[in-house]
Amino acid sequence: MVLCMKPSLAIDFMGIKLKNPVLTASGAFGYGYELADLIPLNKLGAILTKTITLEPKSGNLQPRIAEVSSGLLNSIGLQNIGAKAFIKEPLENLSKVGLPIIVSVAGSCVKEYVQTVEILSAQDTISAIELNLSCPNLKKKIVCHDLPLTQEVIKSVKKVSKVPVIVKLSPLVTDIAELSLCAQNAGANGITLANTYPAMAIDVKTFKYKLSTAKGGLSGACVKPMSVRCVYDAYQNIDIPIVGCGGIETGEDVLEFMLAGARVVSVGSASLVSPKILIKIISEIEKVLKEKNIKDIREVVGMLNTTKNAC
Amino acid sequence: MCTLKRFDITCKIISNKEVCTNYFELKIKAGSIAKYCLPGQFFMIGVPGVFLRRPISVYDSKKSVLSFLYKVVGKGTGILSRMRSGQLQILGPLGKGYDLEICKDLNYVAVAGGTGIASLHFLAIKLGKNKPYKKKGTLYYGARSKKDLLCLDKFKEIGWKVVVSTEDGSKGYKGYITDILEKKVKDSDVLFACGPMPMLKKVVQIAKGKKVKGFASLEEKMACGVGNCQGCAVNINGAIKMTCKDGPVFKIEEVNL
Ligand SMILES: Cc1cc2nc3c(=O)[nH]c(=O)nc-3n(C[C@H](O)[C@H](O)[C@H](O)COP(=O)(O)OP(=O)(O)OC[C@H]3O[C@@H](n4cnc5c(N)ncnc54)[C@H](O)[C@@H]3O)c2cc1C
Ligand SMILES: Cc1cc2nc3c(=O)[nH]c(=O)nc-3n(C[C@H](O)[C@H](O)[C@H](O)COP(=O)(O)O)c2cc1C
Ligand code: FES
Repeated sequence: MVLCMKPSLAIDFMGIKLKNPVLTASGAFGYGYELADLIPLNKLGAILTKTITLEPKSGNLQPRIAEVSSGLLNSIGLQNIGAKAFIKEPLENLSKVGLPIIVSVAGSCVKEYVQTVEILSAQDTISAIELNLSCPNLKKKIVCHDLPLTQEVIKSVKKVSKVPVIVKLSPLVTDIAELSLCAQNAGANGITLANTYPAMAIDVKTFKYKLSTAKGGLSGACVKPMSVRCVYDAYQNIDIPIVGCGGIETGEDVLEFMLAGARVVSVGSASLVSPKILIKIISEIEKVLKEKNIKDIREVVGMLNTTKNAC
Repeated sequence: MCTLKRFDITCKIISNKEVCTNYFELKIKAGSIAKYCLPGQFFMIGVPGVFLRRPISVYDSKKSVLSFLYKVVGKGTGILSRMRSGQLQILGPLGKGYDLEICKDLNYVAVAGGTGIASLHFLAIKLGKNKPYKKKGTLYYGARSKKDLLCLDKFKEIGWKVVVSTEDGSKGYKGYITDILEKKVKDSDVLFACGPMPMLKKVVQIAKGKKVKGFASLEEKMACGVGNCQGCAVNINGAIKMTCKDGPVFKIEEVNL
């Protein structure tokens, strides 16, 4: 009889030890602690908070949400309470969960990114920062579309950050592998691929845009194949670990991202619809690994992506 | 009035019947969940074939049975209306409901438009069951036509006075229910309003003008229903609040519609 060993899901990510590779995606899980009554939060790999800015932001007008086939459009507009308020009650509550905490950060200029990271990375309970360089909701050009600015933000933030810095990119760029390499060269410790896809929808009953901002970000099951492609291409070009993100709903989806090269993943829209899906995903990963007789999840990372031509 | 407990679970459909053209009553087996539901609270109901869950108010909760009253308006409610059996994913009870405490001293008046009747029905039942609320309520109910008026007999059974209006004059007063409300409502009343935005706007205007206390249940597009996505923002007294978590029921004097 073959003894069926429980596969190990533990994985290290930029030096942070995670009990499994499943993270929450920024903006889809609030400040991270609010659903403690609905799911056992401490079963997750790590918690990634919504994007925090230096000053509070009130967000965009209604409607901010529109459903489309197999996904949704959003234009929340980074509504949040600001860095100083965040490090009080929300961060204290979140710290009690006992998981690594990654805080997403955005700013309207280099200085804002730097000041926000200075405040946040000085908190002992924060394990890493994720720079949101790709928010398609800001009315101005997004940072990712300006290469010198992208590098300047990363370099400046790296100078002040006391914790590892992940850079989250927009998938809507000419060459995601090249941009990922630039982020690595500027000092990024990890890359998240990818944010939402710029998109829009129009209500033909009313002849109105479905979002107040006309355009928004597309997420959910419909974006998964495109984000897996981003991970696959970037993995071939970089050495730093990748957070795979986009349309994950099952344990199989997680493994798909990991086979393409993601070291960990983050789940957004699916957990908005059903918080408990996060826990289900973790047990599904275990099941698939068992079926495949894989004892350690680390074996899977980039398994199919053998053309890596690391720099 | 806060949620005591909320659940993300799978429930069995007991029945899902058309009560009149395009309106359905869905009953599900909800076990102990039913006892945690308060009037004005809602559930996010998963419908196979659409991405987001649909927010639907609690219409009734008795023992282990949870009921919803919904109108077929689009793809999600369309698919739901064709489900006769099977299971549904539900998340709830969610949000803050109506404040019943205030009813101890005031005459309660419910104003409903369309399917807004659902949450007010649950309110009437709860008020009917609780000892401190001795007074009988009045329901002002507006609909397009006679065929859109739901569960009037249920309100009458509990002893409520029912005033009806239809836009086509097929039953009750011809016109909008708010026209009658405006003439009748007094500052010794407490208002509970649930219905479409134009009706709510008018109710809020009347209530503010006559200094009548009350509550309005608002509707916004929702993705999560639990305050996590910030999708359902609404301006309450100058501050941005989430309809799903801080509402859907807000004090009338604080809403700016
Ligand atoms: C707190 C709350 C309680 C509600 N209670 C009831 C009830 O008891 N009975 C009932 O019949 N209806 C109720 N509604 C309205 C109900 O949610 C919508 O009619 C339903 O979501 C429509 O889905 P659909 O797929 O058929 O329509 P579609 O128009 O195809 O839906 C597309 C998207 O828009 C959203 N949407 C459409 N109309 C509304 C609306 N009025 N409010 C919020 N989101 C909407 C849908 O959820 C979906 O995400 C309630 C809404 C809210 C916010
Ligand atoms: C409602 C909503 C809000 C979001 N807010 C943010 C945000 O504040 N910062 C960010 O970097 N990404 C944000 N995202 C993007 C997600 O983190 C994620 O990258 C994207 O949704 C793709 O993953 P998914 O398909 O699993 O949702 C948001 C997504 C949604 C649906
Ligand atoms: S629906 Fe997500 S915050 Fe209200």
